[in-house]
Amino acid sequence: MKATAVSSAAISNAMRYQQMRMQAELVKTTKESQTGKVADVGLALGGRTTQAVTFQRDLDRLNGIVDSNSLVAARLTSTQDSLGQLSDVAQNLLTALTSAVSGDSSTGITQTAGASALQQMTGILNTSVNGEYLFAGTNTDVKPIDDFNAAGSPAKAAFDAAFTSYFGFTQNDPAAANITAAQMDDFITTAVEPQFLGSGWQTNWSSATDDQITSRISLNETTQTSVSANEQGIRKLAMAAAMVSTLFTGSISQQAQNTIVSRAQKLVGEAIGGIVQVRSEAGLAQKRVSDASDRMKTQVDLFEKHILDLEGVDPAEAATRLADLTQHIETSFALTARLQQLSLLNYLT
Amino acid sequence: MSLSTALSIAQSALLATSKQTSVVSRNVADASNPDYARRVAVVTSTAPGARSVEIQRAANDLLFRQNLSALSAWSGQSTLYSGMDQLDLSVNGVDNASSPSTAIANLQQQLQLYATTPSNQNLGTSVIDAAKQVVNSLNGGTKAIQDFRTQTDGQIATAVDDLNSLLSQFQDANKAVISGTRSGTDVSDALDQRDALVKKIAEYVPVSTFTRGDNDMVITTKDGTTLFETVPRSVTFTPSAGYTAGAPGNKIYIDNVPLSAGTGDSTAADGKLAGMLKLRDDVAATMQSQLDEIARGLITAFAETSPSQPNATGLFTWSGAPAIPTAGTLVNGLAGSIGVNAAFDPSAGGSPSLLRDGGANGAAYISNTSGGASYSDLLIAYGNRLDQPMAFDTSAGITVNSGVSDYAANAIGWFEGVRQQASTNADAKEALATRTAEALSNDTGVNVDQEMSLLLDLEHTYQASARMMKTVSDMLDSLLSAVG
Repeated sequence: MKATAVSSAAISNAMRYQQMRMQAELVKTTKESQTGKVADVGLALGGRTTQAVTFQRDLDRLNGIVDSNSLVAARLTSTQDSLGQLSDVAQNLLTALTSAVSGDSSTGITQTAGASALQQMTGILNTSVNGEYLFAGTNTDVKPIDDFNAAGSPAKAAFDAAFTSYFGFTQNDPAAANITAAQMDDFITTAVEPQFLGSGWQTNWSSATDDQITSRISLNETTQTSVSANEQGIRKLAMAAAMVSTLFTGSISQQAQNTIVSRAQKLVGEAIGGIVQVRSEAGLAQKRVSDASDRMKTQVDLFEKHILDLEGVDPAEAATRLADLTQHIETSFALTARLQQLSLLNYLT
Repeated sequence: MSLSTALSIAQSALLATSKQTSVVSRNVADASNPDYARRVAVVTSTAPGARSVEIQRAANDLLFRQNLSALSAWSGQSTLYSGMDQLDLSVNGVDNASSPSTAIANLQQQLQLYATTPSNQNLGTSVIDAAKQVVNSLNGGTKAIQDFRTQTDGQIATAVDDLNSLLSQFQDANKAVISGTRSGTDVSDALDQRDALVKKIAEYVPVSTFTRGDNDMVITTKDGTTLFETVPRSVTFTPSAGYTAGAPGNKIYIDNVPLSAGTGDSTAADGKLAGMLKLRDDVAATMQSQLDEIARGLITAFAETSPSQPNATGLFTWSGAPAIPTAGTLVNGLAGSIGVNAAFDPSAGGSPSLLRDGGANGAAYISNTSGGASYSDLLIAYGNRLDQPMAFDTSAGITVNSGVSDYAANAIGWFEGVRQQASTNADAKEALATRTAEALSNDTGVNVDQEMSLLLDLEHTYQASARMMKTVSDMLDSLLSAVG
């Protein structure tokens, strides 16, 4: 007769099984309290692992875009800087032209002012950052602006050729003194303008493309983040400076010079307005980039929090569980030892 | 009553006690044998004073059956779960480090970097390297899955051999039980052996048993196929030398009836064989389809487009290049054959700038017509296409329409979902198997303390009987000396 039987094998097996389970749990809990994350994300989350994987992926991507945005921002800052300098160049040229009108300065000084404006402008437009020419549009591995003063410059050659073919002599020819104001005005309109404001600009002057660099500045937002040397303001400035530096030779009549100066003044004025316009566009892009970066940083924080919500374990809870488990295992060991001693055999002598 | 009667009663008591002692000693010897059922020596009185000892074997059929079914379930579930663990590690790596999802995320980041500075050819090369990682992950995953299927196939073959050998051992044990029962001898040992064999068989296939006349046992599987009836039925299986994606596995036949992998989802299996079939034909095959769909998604996302020409393979290429795989249709084994187009690969003489400009398939596909070094529109478009929802074949187990990058993340989610289920089931079945084994052991096993206290009783009986004989002998002696 046995009411509630228990077999010796069952007693020891049950204890072994419990200890095995607790030790397996111990390994898991130790890992959790050390890393602050669940031991096996897949087992803990199951189908929701997708979320954890997606959050982690987006987090890395956001961080990547924040990093690449700083590159973009650096380019835009340099562009903004260069445009500022360009503005200054235009202002100085305007001052020189104003003096020329009032007759305070000699022809030579005005011509030098034009030449130096052209040189400075070329230098600024050919600025490169990280090996990319800032004002080249997308064609960033080619110098955007041809150096007008260098020997063999196609722009200079084209300009001189236009003059010669219009008047039949060079600008240093004594016959230049006979050019009337009306002739000069017509020359500028029909021969010089197409070289700068028309198709001649990209043939002789600029290697830049009209399309600008597009950048992704957030997960789903792209914007144009460069300025091309083909902007109207820049072309007008180049035209004014080139006219002054080439045509103010001293051989040309006073009326013609006055026409040149008044045309140049008008052009520089428009150029300054144009450059301001471009600067404000670049400023808007800068703001978009920095706004996007700020937004993404907030998102990064949010995603980190989400990931922690999904994968994290409460460190205090993990530590408590660890302590509990250790205690349970100790108790279990003690009990096993005691139960092993607890045998009728010990009392049979 | 006479002195000689007293003497013979004491003698029979001694005999009975020694028999009972031998049973106790046998019980103690086998106390830790889980397959041993406790013997009880029952003493019955026959003629006045005469006693005989009959040996009975403790058995509990109900608990035994419960234990059998729990054993099958546990064995199936743990096979399934450990197989999934192995697949997880070999395909996705630790913390999904080598998963296609991680590789694609890295590709997206490299693409973003390149799009920010398209004039930098080193960044272009990094994109190609990242693309190679994606390809490695897909190729490696495919190989791991097919190796796993081949390996599982081999394990199934071994398990089938084991099962056949167990069945033939069972035949011997069953014969011993039948002949012993017919001749009326003690068959306890043979029964122990036979029960142990049934337990082992139950680990391979879920069984139900019933016992006919003369203790003859018949074993059928749960769904009714005969495994053993007088003679063992043959279990047959032809392993395949190797597996390719989409190739179905061979079936296991019991008595010429194909063994089913069991109903339900991919997370429940009854018996080791069913567990392995599920792994080979269900879990691993679905994973493969998902990898193939990821590969198809990548080829499609990076396809070169042209207004006048059909789309053609771009960065990622396959055996059917330059055509693009049909939209929304699974191509078996695509993940194994996907590669990085040599035209883009600097180490194969290609140029990464084709990724920026387009035109790997001829001038009609050139997107950067002005040739600018900082042209980023195409790179940005590729990045967008990785996120654009596209149609995936529903047979791959994921029905959500998403971009290929999300699809890869969903594939991990799908797998972890079934793994979690399988783990929970395995835990539950393990607990059940342990619990039923404990109940069975409590009911039919040996308690050494109990046997020891029995032994004390027997010792007393023996001492008393011996004393009795001594007294009778003394009395007879004194009688004889008085007579002499």
